[in-house]
Amino acid sequence: MSSDAPDSATDATDGGAAADATDDAAATESPDEAVGADEADRDADTATHAERATAAAAEGDHLLSVEDIDAYYAQSHILRNLSMHVEEGEVCALLGRNGAGKTTTLRSIAGAHPPEVRDGVVRYKNDDITDYSTEDVSSLGISLVPEERRVFPNLSVGENLHLSDVARNWSNVVGRTVSMDHPGMSTEEVYEVFPRLEERESQKAGTLSGGEQQMLAIARALKQDTDLLMLDEPYEGLAPQIIDTVEDAIARIAETGTTILLVEQNAVAAMNIADRAYVVDQGEIVFTGTSEELRTDEETREQYLGV
Amino acid sequence: MIPLQVDIASILLNGLQQGAIYALLGLGLTIILGTMEFLNLAHGALYLVGAYVGLLVFRETTLTNGLLYSFGVTTIGFDGGFLAALVVVPIVGFGIGLLMERFVAEPFYDRPETDQLLVTFGLALIVEEIIKNVIGGNTFQSIGPQTIFGFNVSQPVALPVVGLFPSWRLFIIVIALVIIAVTWLAIERTDFGLVVQAGTRDSEMVRLLGIKINRSYSLVFALGAALAAFAGLIGASIQTLSPQIGTDRALLPAFLTIVVGGAGSVRGAIAGGMLLGVIVSAMTQTYSQWAQIVLYLFVALMLIVRPEGLFGSGEVGE
Repeated sequence: MSSDAPDSATDATDGGAAADATDDAAATESPDEAVGADEADRDADTATHAERATAAAAEGDHLLSVEDIDAYYAQSHILRNLSMHVEEGEVCALLGRNGAGKTTTLRSIAGAHPPEVRDGVVRYKNDDITDYSTEDVSSLGISLVPEERRVFPNLSVGENLHLSDVARNWSNVVGRTVSMDHPGMSTEEVYEVFPRLEERESQKAGTLSGGEQQMLAIARALKQDTDLLMLDEPYEGLAPQIIDTVEDAIARIAETGTTILLVEQNAVAAMNIADRAYVVDQGEIVFTGTSEELRTDEETREQYLGV
Repeated sequence: MIPLQVDIASILLNGLQQGAIYALLGLGLTIILGTMEFLNLAHGALYLVGAYVGLLVFRETTLTNGLLYSFGVTTIGFDGGFLAALVVVPIVGFGIGLLMERFVAEPFYDRPETDQLLVTFGLALIVEEIIKNVIGGNTFQSIGPQTIFGFNVSQPVALPVVGLFPSWRLFIIVIALVIIAVTWLAIERTDFGLVVQAGTRDSEMVRLLGIKINRSYSLVFALGAALAAFAGLIGASIQTLSPQIGTDRALLPAFLTIVVGGAGSVRGAIAGGMLLGVIVSAMTQTYSQWAQIVLYLFVALMLIVRPEGLFGSGEVGE
């Protein structure tokens, strides 16, 4: 935490949001004292102050920001000082080769272990969520649709979907009431997006085709109160016409204003729906820009994406 | 050679009674194994604790040796009757299960199975030795009551087809089946059960959905322990008690039951328990000296012909 305080201070002045933060800080700190202090003291004293400013700035700017994280699988250093951010309402793609660190980034955000995040901060809606448990990250409204779908094969389609209701009910029981910008869909609404699932409602998920399982995995996430939907290679292993269906569904989700972070090896498909893209290679971000910019940046595409 | 009198109805009813106890034991073991992939060799110790707590609650018992006796305590127990035991024993089992999950099982979830076996086997030995040393190694009489819910259960009742059958054993069948049904419903028909079933396959995915599955784990473990303790109480109401019964009458039958039914399968534990109960009952009423041998032969045969068990998916502990 302490290491990122100076950065935050800089951000605060750049962001020009310090004034907003002063109001927040007034309750705990005398504003006069803060103003009267000399420069050096202020840097130290107003660390929290500055953080709040960043937070306030972030509220306008970034829904999610990953700041200089270093993530490890046991002794393997997978993510190196990786930073990225996702804006409210956008579709952001994280692209890169197999093994580049895309899944590790998503798992680090989701609070899943492994990996172990040893340095850096993950911020979501002002909060430092770096050390949050998987369950807590999820109940903040961040849903991960992981690689290989991971639907529960021994449960029916309906039961798989019902688990999202259970998650919501149980988190209410323990008193967590987070206000969500995008409350989860009802099962009926989910079936409107994926009519196929309704036909298969009582069928065991393990008997579904790959495409249907992907629909179920996305549907399950949609039923949760999701403000940020993270999709890990949703097109992997799917036939081209199924990719179209899934792509349509993702586009429709994006239209509702749900923010999407899309991880793909299939850069062409991802750029169809992404507003902005990051390219990751060997655990480092090597490109940041709009999808348009990536399309015209042949060097990056050839070197890191092979397209 | 004397023609053998085979009374099918009586064999089935006795088998049902024995099978109900096996099913309770197998059920407790299998939900813990299936959900947490944790092999609990202390399952028999939970049965033992259930039997002895039942003894303490049920009646006053005279001691003739042991640590308490050496301190001048000659009788222990509350004389609370069987109904009180029926309430207290599962609660104690549940509580012990919660503690065991937290302090013994949880630190070993990610350790190799051999470590789990060693720590739970050690715990079973400790429980057995404590009971032996504190209360004494004596064999105590069974704790079956004379009456329950106002019914006299000390006399046999006349049943159609079967003829005379001990009414207490009939009661055991009924109450065990009720408990088994409730457990089955809890796993198959509730949100809690749904989370447990999902967690059996992919606990991280359950967490990714925002469900705190660790709480469900504690609950499953406690439920399994309560079932074992309950089985111990029921067992102690028809058989004598001694500190050795945990292994012979509970741990081994529980393992045989889930081998036959399929590890991790709820319906497998019920079916496997009943099947073994009927086999033991049939052998006991005909060639009783062969009962144990036939039981183990059957399970060995099962392992060869259908190693995943009647309802097993063959996936637990893969």
